[in-house]
This record gives sequence, C-alpha cells and structure tokens, in this order.
Amino acid sequence: MQQKTSANAAGTALTNQVSVTTIDGESSAFASLSASLAEIRKLKGVIGYILRSNTSAILDFTGPDEITENAILSSQIHDSCQEIGKQFNLGEMESVLVEGENVKVLCMSIGENNISVFMEKSATHSWIIKRILM
Amino acid sequence: MTETYSTTLQTIINEFKNITPEITNTFIFKKNGEIIASTETTTEDQNKKLIATFNDIVDQAENIGDIETLTIQGADSQLSITSMNNRYLVNVSSRAADEKMVKMLTSVIVPTVVKLVDQISELSGSELPQVKKPEVKPVEEIVLPDEQTTQSESILDMSASFSSEPMLPEPPVNQFMIEKIGGLLVRCDIVRVDSEVIAKWHDIYGDKEITQVHIETLEGKSIICGFKPIKETSHNAKGIIQFPEKVLQALQTSKGKLVIVKPVITSQGEKIVAAKNKRQRRWNRIN
Repeated sequence: MQQKTSANAAGTALTNQVSVTTIDGESSAFASLSASLAEIRKLKGVIGYILRSNTSAILDFTGPDEITENAILSSQIHDSCQEIGKQFNLGEMESVLVEGENVKVLCMSIGENNISVFMEKSATHSWIIKRILM
Repeated sequence: MTETYSTTLQTIINEFKNITPEITNTFIFKKNGEIIASTETTTEDQNKKLIATFNDIVDQAENIGDIETLTIQGADSQLSITSMNNRYLVNVSSRAADEKMVKMLTSVIVPTVVKLVDQISELSGSELPQVKKPEVKPVEEIVLPDEQTTQSESILDMSASFSSEPMLPEPPVNQFMIEKIGGLLVRCDIVRVDSEVIAKWHDIYGDKEITQVHIETLEGKSIICGFKPIKETSHNAKGIIQFPEKVLQALQTSKGKLVIVKPVITSQGEKIVAAKNKRQRRWNRIN
C-alpha cells in the first residue's frame, strides 16, 4: 500500500510496507517513472525501489529498517558514480549496477530523477533497464 | 606483497590492451587502498581518487553484503570494479568493447590468476617437502642421422615439459633375439617386429599412435627408430626382431643377441612438435 504526504507537512510517512514522501508537485516524468517502477516492483526478485527528484521522492520497501539503509546507499552510489564518471570521462551516466553478496542495486538517472532498484542477484536487471527507458 | 607478485599482475593487465584495444585503463588495488598494478594511462592521483570514492560506497553497502562488482555504463565508456580475494580490479573501456571479452577478462581470467598467484605465494612462504630425484641410470643413446630419429629427439625434449594429457600405462618391455635382414626393398632405419606384439601394444594404448620403438642392448646401448611388422608369410616371427645392417652397427651388436624393446608412445602435443620439425627440415633442405 502506498501513502502520499504533502510537502507542506514536510514529513516522511513510514509504514511497515511502504514509505512515500512528496515535497512538491509531481512532474509528468516523475509520474511516468513512478508508474513504471510500481510495475517493476511486482516482478519476482525485486526487493524495492527509490525514485527521487529534486522535489519529490518515493521509497518502496517492505521494512522501515531497509528504507534508511537503502536510501543512504542509493544516494552514495549516485553521488560517487557521478564523480567517477567525470573523473574518467565516461560521458553521461546511463546506468550503474552494484552487486553485493546478497543483493544487487541498479541505479539510473533520467533527467533530474534518480532511480535505484534493489533486487535479488538472480533478477534480470537488463530487462528492468529496458522497462524504465520505455 | 612481493615485487614478483606485483610484476605478474602488471604483465597481465598490460596484455589487456593487446587483447581488447578498447580497454583504456586497468589497475588493481588492495582493500586498504594500496595500488598493486596499473596501466600508464592514468595518474596515481586519479586512481587514488577513484579508490576513495569507491570506498565511500563500500562503507554504506553493508546491507547488501560486500560489494562484488560495480559497473558504470556511461554514454561513451564503461567502468567496472570487480572484487577478487581482498583486491579490486578496475577496468575502463569504451562502449565499443566486446562485452563478453571484457567480462571474461575481469570476472574470470584475472581473478583466477590472482587466486593462483596467491596460492603460489602461500606455498613459497612455507617450506615445501623436498622431492627426492630418482636416480637415472646412465644409458648411452645413439641417434641415427635420419628423419625419424630427429623426430625422436623432439619427443624426448617434449617429455620434460608439462602435459595435460591423461597418464598412460608404462610401456610393456619385450625381449627379442636379433635377426638380420637385408635387400633392396629394406629400409636401413626400420626394424621389423612380431605383428602379435604390435597388436598388443595397440590394445594397451588404444588410439595412441605408435610409430617408433626404443631398443636397448644388454650392454646399455639404445636407439629409437621406426618399425614395421614382420612379414608372417616369410617367417615364424615369435621372439624375433629383424635389424638392418645400419641398426646393427649403431647398436654395436650382431645376429642372435638379445635386445629389450618397448614402444614409444606419441601424444598429441608431441605429434605437433614432430610435424613442425619435419616441416622445418624440409624447408632447410629446399634452401
């Protein structure tokens, strides 16, 4: 179940299932991506996702503990990889895949929106990239 | 970390560019940030910055387990960091690079080599048990100056090198009495052996090609030469080996004396070397 909270409330609503924070009005790209990610979330092996723009963010995980840790990791991956990309002239960042021992994280930047999809290592991330870019 | 260790890894990563020219930069660093090997395309400062930035991710990645790989796909190039036995391999390549080849190098070849080098380093650190060298009985070898004996030399050389082929059974040793053969159609470098004995050799070694035999006199002189079966129609061949004059002279022996004979087993690798030598000799003759 998803909940949305007004930006004016400046809060972050957490439930056992889902946390959603909306700070301002949603752009159409953000809305479109959130719809795609909601579909991706249903796929087998997908643990959760984070969609963040300059003004809004959606975090969808099963437990509140995961949310904080995953949000920090997601933010770190985006920032660090942007820096590495510039340093090694990789060009505009299309995707980042971080594979841990248990879980892998797919990170993408679409315009001003940063996406992180957490999934089991057996999940097919290439299909998820295609689905996000559709 | 020994210098040899570092040099080994350096050699491997230097070869990356030869295998896939699209690979622009490669380096290996330890978890503590020490750079073990690096191509010359980036500065040490640049590599250290990358290590620091990567470590920032590692610090936050406890919830997904230790990072095994990180792959950044940029519009122009891609960068991958692969974990391997307390070390990380960084590889930067253009997007035109063969993905399978890059994956094979970064995820299979280098981690395997690192694992092997680690094992060797560990072994060399501890005392290895001394292997007692078997005593070799000195045997005077006589080599016929013809094509087939030159071939046997290369086979002997090859025997010292490592072979991945399965272990073969020890060649059976047969004792024969010498009989002399001659005539216009008899080749001077070929001996004739009982066809039943040859059939037994083929039973033991299956598909392995046997083209030569090792003959040793009781006095210790030995020779390797080609062989053919004794013509059964003309002779009762049991216990007999037929020598042409040249072989008799080479072994300094004579009719009626005993010799020990065993087959020379030619492996696939030896056959290739032998064929190469043969081609070389032909080439030398032409010139």
